[in-house]
Amino acid sequence: MSSHVYLLFSLAFYAVGALHVLLQALTRRQLLTSWTVTATLIGFALHTASLAQRWTEAGHFPAVGLHDVSSFLAWALVLVFLMTYTRTRVEALGLVVYPVAFALVLVANMTPAAESDDPILQSYFLPIHATLAFLGYAALFVAFAMGLLYLVQERELKSRSPRRLYYILPSLERCDTIGGRSVEVGFAFLTLAIVTGMLWSYRARGVYWTGDAKEWTALIAWVLYVVLVLARHRTGWGGRRAALLGIAGFAAVVLTFVWVTAAGVASAAR
Amino acid sequence: MIVLVGLSHRTSPLPVRESLAFAKERLVEALQRMRQEAGVSEAMILSTCNRVELYGRSDESEGGGSRLEEFLCAFHGRPRPEIAPYLYRLSGSDAVRHAFRVAASLESMVIGEPQILGQVKEAYQTAEQAGTLGSALNALRNRSLAAAKRARTETGIGQNAVSVSYVAVELARKIFGELRDKNVLLVGAGKMSELAARHLVRSGARAMVLGGRTFEKAEELAAALGGRAAPFESLRSELAAADIVISGTGAPGIVIHREDVEHARAARGGRYQRPLFLIDIAVPRDIDPAARKISGIFLYDLDDLRSVAEANLRERQKEAAAAESLVDREVREFLEWQKSLDVVPILIELRRRADEIRRIEVERARRRLGPLTPEQEAALDAATSAIVNKLLHPPTILIKEMARNGYGAEQVALLRKLLGL
Repeated sequence: MSSHVYLLFSLAFYAVGALHVLLQALTRRQLLTSWTVTATLIGFALHTASLAQRWTEAGHFPAVGLHDVSSFLAWALVLVFLMTYTRTRVEALGLVVYPVAFALVLVANMTPAAESDDPILQSYFLPIHATLAFLGYAALFVAFAMGLLYLVQERELKSRSPRRLYYILPSLERCDTIGGRSVEVGFAFLTLAIVTGMLWSYRARGVYWTGDAKEWTALIAWVLYVVLVLARHRTGWGGRRAALLGIAGFAAVVLTFVWVTAAGVASAAR
Repeated sequence: MIVLVGLSHRTSPLPVRESLAFAKERLVEALQRMRQEAGVSEAMILSTCNRVELYGRSDESEGGGSRLEEFLCAFHGRPRPEIAPYLYRLSGSDAVRHAFRVAASLESMVIGEPQILGQVKEAYQTAEQAGTLGSALNALRNRSLAAAKRARTETGIGQNAVSVSYVAVELARKIFGELRDKNVLLVGAGKMSELAARHLVRSGARAMVLGGRTFEKAEELAAALGGRAAPFESLRSELAAADIVISGTGAPGIVIHREDVEHARAARGGRYQRPLFLIDIAVPRDIDPAARKISGIFLYDLDDLRSVAEANLRERQKEAAAAESLVDREVREFLEWQKSLDVVPILIELRRRADEIRRIEVERARRRLGPLTPEQEAALDAATSAIVNKLLHPPTILIKEMARNGYGAEQVALLRKLLGL
């Protein structure tokens, strides 16, 4: 089977997971059942097969172009989610992760795979660098999601008349702790990704910095997260402010990425 | 057959229930009289503040319930026409279903409340002591209590606090997650704050009691909670160290002002933005309501706790649907099991088979004997019938006795095997 077929199947399994988690949220207290987890695991296995297949088909590590990026990002996100879930059993995270993973795989399914025979893509730096970067962004996304859950739960508690979400979301402290851990992990991966990226760039082109979209995104995100990680560690900052910064940090990552990509496309067009 | 007569908060006002309630001391007597006077071979009485129910086992197929009703009125000396409109009378599978639902607290005023299970257990125990519990009610007891426990653990009907002090603990869990090593500050040593604090301390929180005019009371409460006591003047510094504050003084005005809360927040907030959970259970209120505008401060007064309790109750009612279907399944299983135990069909089948064999053999004999006189024919019939009846007499008596006294599934199986059915 081709990578596209695998990807289509994994999309179907993620759809089952996403629908199920949303339905459960409306009706029952338990969000993730063994059905959801099984569907996710099967979807993830097919997704992995799809990426492996794509690697052979493309002749380079599948991290080039929108198709590869969204597919790989979704894969990293599901992986990080599954790891977070096994460690903490925080089910409400699925409410944010499933729809996003589904959307990313959908985008990947709808966009054609980019073909490129640039020799730079043959470097063994690509798999290392890309994997580190994607896992880092996925962990930062989890921090973003936990920040959202924190704010929603805080609003529920402040309202003094709880609704459905109050019952299914974790406690403030748990949101804070898991969010904090995710920022640390994500930040560590991001740092390593930047370092390997620079080394790769130096090897291939003789410069550490070329100034393209990905580099600016990573740098700006890195600076933001330095502030957040330091604030948490040095001043014991937590709670609402940390949640807000976690959200703002990730939003900045997305915005920079979109903006720099658009600018890059514009300059290329000229 | 199980018969049931009763009244509950749904069918009757409190004064009527009160007049028909059974005092604990008279329960054994009532159970024994019920068995003698109401024509039931087994008896159980469930008498709580929300319901009075008489369960019996009647061997009559009809009218067992009406004698229970008579007994209930006679025992309390109330005229029957006055009481009758408040009563429900159920028998057979309806009575079984009702017993299951009561034990699972699906019939309770507050769905999912935990007390009823204990009350039902106790009612059966009392009946056991009184010697009025037999196989039928015992089976009902085992199955309905097991179903109630399943409903409680497998659905959410028992979840989410509906009492004010438990609501406070649950909210604390929603804010802090783990309550271990959290500091609880009690302002004022009232009964209700003690109750809430006890739950928190049991979950691992540390208690601190601030005393007012009577410092000994604060010290006493602190000792009971395994914490420390301090004079009221240290409010601000204690507030800064606290995670959860329960305020329940009898003071006529505000005791903890917005400035106190802001001060506490500044004292802790510079370093660590831990949330602060303030519970004001005093009437009139102790804590300035304006404090709830401060970020990171969660202030709940008595009305807020009640509104959370109501929301929890609504959640429970949603879960009740799941519990209903679980109990329904259990009832169906129980009824099927009951039916499989029924020995009356064995009796009928045995008779039918024996008679069939007799008729075939008589027919065969007649063919061999040639034409018979009417007298001879009558004699042949009488002799064979007598043989069948005499042979079947002991098993018939035994089966009837079993039907009265109860038996197990293995006994029924053995019986069927023995009789070749």
